[in-house]
Amino acid sequence: MKILCVLLPHFPINCEKLRHNDLTARPLIITVAAGSQKLVLDYSPELKNLQREMPLQQALSLQAEAEIIHADIQYYCSVFNGILDSLEKRSPLVEGADLGDIYIGLDGLQMIYENDAALVKAVRAAVPSVFDARIGIAEDKFPAYLAAWHSSPGSYKTLTGDIAAFLNDLTCDLLPVSLKSKEKLHSFGLHKLGQIAALTPGPLQAQFGPEGIRIRELANGHDDTPLYPRLTEETIEESTTLSSMTASLDVIMVSIEAMLSRAFVRFEPKGMGIRSVHLWTRTWLREHWEKNIQFKEPALNTKTAISRIRLIIENSPQPGPIEQLGMKITGLGRPNGRQKSLLTDVRAKDNLLDDVRQLEFRLGGTQLYKIKEIEPWSRIPERRYALIPLSQ
Amino acid sequence: MVADTGKTLRPDSIKPVNLPEPLQVEESPAGLPTFVRLKRRQKIIAVEDCWRIDDEWWRSEPVSRLYYAVILASGQRIVLSKNLIDGSWYRQTY
Repeated sequence: MKILCVLLPHFPINCEKLRHNDLTARPLIITVAAGSQKLVLDYSPELKNLQREMPLQQALSLQAEAEIIHADIQYYCSVFNGILDSLEKRSPLVEGADLGDIYIGLDGLQMIYENDAALVKAVRAAVPSVFDARIGIAEDKFPAYLAAWHSSPGSYKTLTGDIAAFLNDLTCDLLPVSLKSKEKLHSFGLHKLGQIAALTPGPLQAQFGPEGIRIRELANGHDDTPLYPRLTEETIEESTTLSSMTASLDVIMVSIEAMLSRAFVRFEPKGMGIRSVHLWTRTWLREHWEKNIQFKEPALNTKTAISRIRLIIENSPQPGPIEQLGMKITGLGRPNGRQKSLLTDVRAKDNLLDDVRQLEFRLGGTQLYKIKEIEPWSRIPERRYALIPLSQ
Repeated sequence: MVADTGKTLRPDSIKPVNLPEPLQVEESPAGLPTFVRLKRRQKIIAVEDCWRIDDEWWRSEPVSRLYYAVILASGQRIVLSKNLIDGSWYRQTY
């Protein structure tokens, strides 16, 4: 399949500049927390010698004057999704691989656009100009990525036929593998894709495991990664800014409950419930926290949803006092349907036991009992019957 | 045939029913119940029936009870039992 790659270099930095005009001329480093460590998510293009995923300490030792900003992943994602929505009007096959990396399947588009130039023009029109989109076209994803990387602003590059000569002198930093693997390649003296392509698979596999084979294939311009178009799913997003920052669990829960109530108004009348909630918070230091919460059975009202959310929040401490919080509700659905039988007694007991087990799982412990005859002939009243769990 | 649920029936998962509930009862000199304290103190106006159970005499805690089916001043009918081993009173439901 012919693939078009749209690269939006320094996407998080450009998002920040889009939001705060005063940041335009300042050197910035955007950081993201990975456990206790802070890593570089993005940096201003004028800052040299920096790399993504580099520890912040190392980055600051190279660029001491840079201004540090905590990543607002939620905001970047919403901008990115807006761009993907816009591109989906050009092609139904759009994949948002990573923040700022977009792949578009071109199969069938030749019927709409007479040539590549017309298609590229339409794609470029869908992306805000501030992002300085670079566009490349090739047969696979990685070559399309490389083509986009080497295209000049305002233009595009197409790779067709034998691309070995084009790949030979490219740096191995462009490979879509972890920073650790790239460093390891450099430590072996493998700085160019051509050097890797010349190796036999054995040594690479011995050093890098399964990733070694993939590195070699990529260096040869082969990428069998399929295009994963976005799945359309109904989502509901709610967010709120607190009047003052707080670390109180009660205040956080009240805000979450208010947001849930607002959300439920939209779909509760349809008899639908929620299966998944993506919760996020931002602290006063702009630190980001997020958590995905799944429901075994769709939560049909605020009360059911909030009890599970409370449990999760209590066990996941916040990074600091919260200023802003929000949620994305996905997986809207109805409770499991049951096929009715003409013979109503058939499976009725199984269905009842299923419900009992579900109830016990949710509330913990035995909840429903049945009366069973133990010694119905006994003269002592309390010996005649006993309660035993219904699910047994 | 009942389907096997795969669960083990544990002794602690069985609950007794109709256990005697301790109760305060005032007796006449003859040993008959005269007043009973449920939510409030109530007079027993009639004893409808009386029977005795002696059972499990081979156990360390044998059962020896005297049952009374009584009518209260409010018109309510209840069954009382007196444990003849220690003299305590209970209300029995069936």
